[in-house]
Amino acid sequence: MSPSNADQVNRRDFMKTAIIAVGGVIGGTIGISAIPYIIGPALKKDQENWIRIGAVTKVELDTPTLFKTNIETQTGWISSEEEISVYVLTENGQEYTAMSNVCTHLGCRVRWIPEQGKFFCPCHNGVFSKDGSVVSGPPPRPLDRFETKVEDGVLFVKRGA
Amino acid sequence: MWAKLGDWFDERFQWRQVWDAIFLRKIPHVNWFYTLGSATLFVATLQAVTGILLTIYYVPDPTHAYDSVVYITTQLPMGWFIRGLHHWGASAMVVLTVAHLLRVFFYGAYKYPREMTWITGVFLLLVVIGFGFTGYLLPWDQKAYWATTVGTKIAGVAPVIGDWILRIARGGPDLSAVTLARFFGTHVWILPASLATLIGIHLYLIIRIGISAVPAKDE
Repeated sequence: MSPSNADQVNRRDFMKTAIIAVGGVIGGTIGISAIPYIIGPALKKDQENWIRIGAVTKVELDTPTLFKTNIETQTGWISSEEEISVYVLTENGQEYTAMSNVCTHLGCRVRWIPEQGKFFCPCHNGVFSKDGSVVSGPPPRPLDRFETKVEDGVLFVKRGA
Repeated sequence: MWAKLGDWFDERFQWRQVWDAIFLRKIPHVNWFYTLGSATLFVATLQAVTGILLTIYYVPDPTHAYDSVVYITTQLPMGWFIRGLHHWGASAMVVLTVAHLLRVFFYGAYKYPREMTWITGVFLLLVVIGFGFTGYLLPWDQKAYWATTVGTKIAGVAPVIGDWILRIARGGPDLSAVTLARFFGTHVWILPASLATLIGIHLYLIIRIGISAVPAKDE
């Protein structure tokens, strides 16, 4: 090999570099595409929407009233109807408090027992008061509340983040 | 520093000898047609990677198959890209495998002592066609459904055992959820296992027996 050739890139090194570069581009493209592909659904923001609950006149004064409504939810490629239940409480017919009927302990459905004036959870004897705060039992926090609004005498609650 | 680390690992893995046997082996002076086999192997790897990614979302059930494919293509970030690669890669597999076969055939490279390389290659071609046939049904759209109806019906016209083949292929007399499930199972388990085994033997032979030179004019 002549001395001038020594400085030049030889065939083997050129191929090595080319293979690493081309392979890196191809591998990188697929690798980088795979990340959003895999984690995409996890990062999707929860749907945020106002759900129509019913006429405010149906809410009894000073006692939690149960409203049930069906909403359509889309999870992945499956759209399904889901029934959500909301307890609505009003003290004065002006301000409304909407509470989830899902126990904050382990997700069972709580029921309002008018005779006792409390919510009871059938699973582990969680008890909540009229406004949803924990009276006794294992629940770690009060019943979740929804944001509410009233439009033309119809009550809406906000679902999702 | 790196060389030292490399030595440390090689002492424990004894890998360099194997690496050299694979990549620094002597080969005859050949031309670009000799890259078709490697090209096929590359696309096969791509198909494996994209295929694995597709199974994260795809559901082989008539109720959800099509919807899950639409979800991958339209809702997932880069889903169109992953599915697109797998879709076009499937065609590329068949084209490259056949081109590779033709190269080997016209250069007479299948002759002694490379008969087994050729025979494993023929089985690999069958596996690739099997991949194409089973994969075509999976999107469960009109084209998939009717192509498989026709394809299995063609198998059904074979004398004597035709009806039997058709029933085994479909998992019953008609195309159904059973057909979709068995095509999926074949596509993601049986065929990949066969492919990996055959590629292993094929590559072993290529390295151990070596490849043939371009034949001279008077040969």
